[in-house]
Amino acid sequence: MPRPAVVLAPPFSRDLSRVAIRRVPHYQSDIAAVLFETLSELNPPVLGKTVLLKPNFVGADPLGMTNTHPAVVGAAREAFLRLGAATVLVGEGPAMDRDTQAVVESIELRAYLGPLAKLFVDLNTDDVERVILKTRASRLSELYLPKTVLGADFLVSMPKMKTHHWAGVTLSLKNMFGVVPGACYGWPKNVLHWAGIDHAILDINAAVRPDFAIVDGIVGMEGNGPIQGISKPCGVLVVGDDPVAVDATCARVMGLLPQKIKYLARAATLLGHLDEEKIRQIGETISSTRTPFAVLDAFKQLRADG
Amino acid sequence: MGSALLQEICLPFLLGAQNSDHGWGFHAGSVSRVEPTVWALTALRECSALPQQQDSATRALQYLAAAQSTDGSWPSSPEIADGSWVTSLACWALLGRDGYLTNVTRGLDWLTQDVPGEARFLRRIMHRFMKNNKLASQNDAYFGWSWTPGTASWVEPTAYAIILILNSPPELLPPKITRRLRLAETMLYDRMCPGGGWNCGNPMVYGVAGEPQTVPTAWALLALRHRRERPEVHKSLQWLVENSRAIRSPGSLALALIALRAYQFPHPGLAESLHALYDDKEILWNVPDVAWGALALSSTAKWLDRNPVGTAA
Repeated sequence: MPRPAVVLAPPFSRDLSRVAIRRVPHYQSDIAAVLFETLSELNPPVLGKTVLLKPNFVGADPLGMTNTHPAVVGAAREAFLRLGAATVLVGEGPAMDRDTQAVVESIELRAYLGPLAKLFVDLNTDDVERVILKTRASRLSELYLPKTVLGADFLVSMPKMKTHHWAGVTLSLKNMFGVVPGACYGWPKNVLHWAGIDHAILDINAAVRPDFAIVDGIVGMEGNGPIQGISKPCGVLVVGDDPVAVDATCARVMGLLPQKIKYLARAATLLGHLDEEKIRQIGETISSTRTPFAVLDAFKQLRADG
Repeated sequence: MGSALLQEICLPFLLGAQNSDHGWGFHAGSVSRVEPTVWALTALRECSALPQQQDSATRALQYLAAAQSTDGSWPSSPEIADGSWVTSLACWALLGRDGYLTNVTRGLDWLTQDVPGEARFLRRIMHRFMKNNKLASQNDAYFGWSWTPGTASWVEPTAYAIILILNSPPELLPPKITRRLRLAETMLYDRMCPGGGWNCGNPMVYGVAGEPQTVPTAWALLALRHRRERPEVHKSLQWLVENSRAIRSPGSLALALIALRAYQFPHPGLAESLHALYDDKEILWNVPDVAWGALALSSTAKWLDRNPVGTAA
């Protein structure tokens, strides 16, 4: 059964969003326990459902700063299964390397998930279905998107906490670029860049809005992200039921002003909450976990400290 | 060992994955598309001696011909209206096959007219005044081919188009193609990573060197075989040799092997490594990967030299 249509609604008509910040000092921590406790509190409706985890996998990452760490993906899978999900798949369509097998081997995904053949979906080469874009923020009127994404009952965006040299930051909304299939649009998915990155982010998320987000901020990336930046230990997982609110919270933790991030400000008019008053904060506070990320000069206006 | 992998794993997998419309999807049971069909039929034609396998390949040519759009291009997926990079691959597969001359000619015409976004006049003027135009270091005066119409040139689609053009008989080539070919080759040199090898096409971003990857490096090297005296080719071959032992995926390893063989470079142990990767049943079993594996292990390489190098240059 296809996913229900995304509800595009202004902030005043939306319920409060819930976002949890959890301290996780390193990847050897018991991440599965932290996530299970957090998910139990947020109680996402996954009982008997097919859950699709959408991490951000780019390629070899010896410093652990580029990809969503596979330990976080494995822990999320375990936590959703413990909550009663019938199936938890992992799907990704790497943007810069067409050899998805090489990407998942380089990060040793199997060591955390076990055998991948029936568990991992290469979203770049999945069968596709036409989706008419409702928002038309970019020049695109339609996209062909993977059937696995369109058919999942519960979609979880699992990005790395990173700066981005075109968009400012890449978090759970920007991570959805990875559902656009390379086998239709190439490597990289350059059609999205030419359509306008900020606008394309809005269009994609209005078509397939994640139901939930888990951001790997244990070690992030600052500076010239999303690939060539510098490792930034931040020691948090940010988890929530509204991807806009999760991204806004991450931006605040990164010492950035979410309302100045163009795509996030626009997403807040239709897809979720940006305003702190509309976000019920759980766990650690933003101020206690704030870890300012360096940004390129082109994005210095995003910095909360001016 | 290589032969056993070819005969017992690669070819049976490809035959078993062919759809009833005679095409192949990216995975067994998925919808037929041009790209996996090109690679599966190329592998079957090159590697199989059995009539049944040759028949499968011949029927796949019909699938390709039927998938061509009215403007001469091929879409990357049957649901999509616009043409794409797979036009080069489809033409290459149909080249020299009886009955498909018109398909190839129309495809070549489309490719000649398909100019990437950065080469368009308005874009070049705009780019001069754009705030972020120093992000990447490449020279936009050199351009090749894009993945999809109106977007920028990238290494792989450019390499595919070069290989097609160099394999095409001169009488099939549109007049403007010689200039496009020269620009495309120069673009590949310009986009090479500083230490040799290629990634998708970003050698430097904000002054930081990009990391090469195996797949685009192999394709760029295959496209530049007629320029083996170029220092960029030497440097990139060296990068591939040094890095091929660390490859842990069948698709990349097969392409590395194909590229090294094309340059008659020694490749000790790589075929055995490829076999070992296929012993692992938990790989993702992607049709192009398996087809490249078959081509890498084939005792011949006729598919690479349909019309021996350089006649169009």
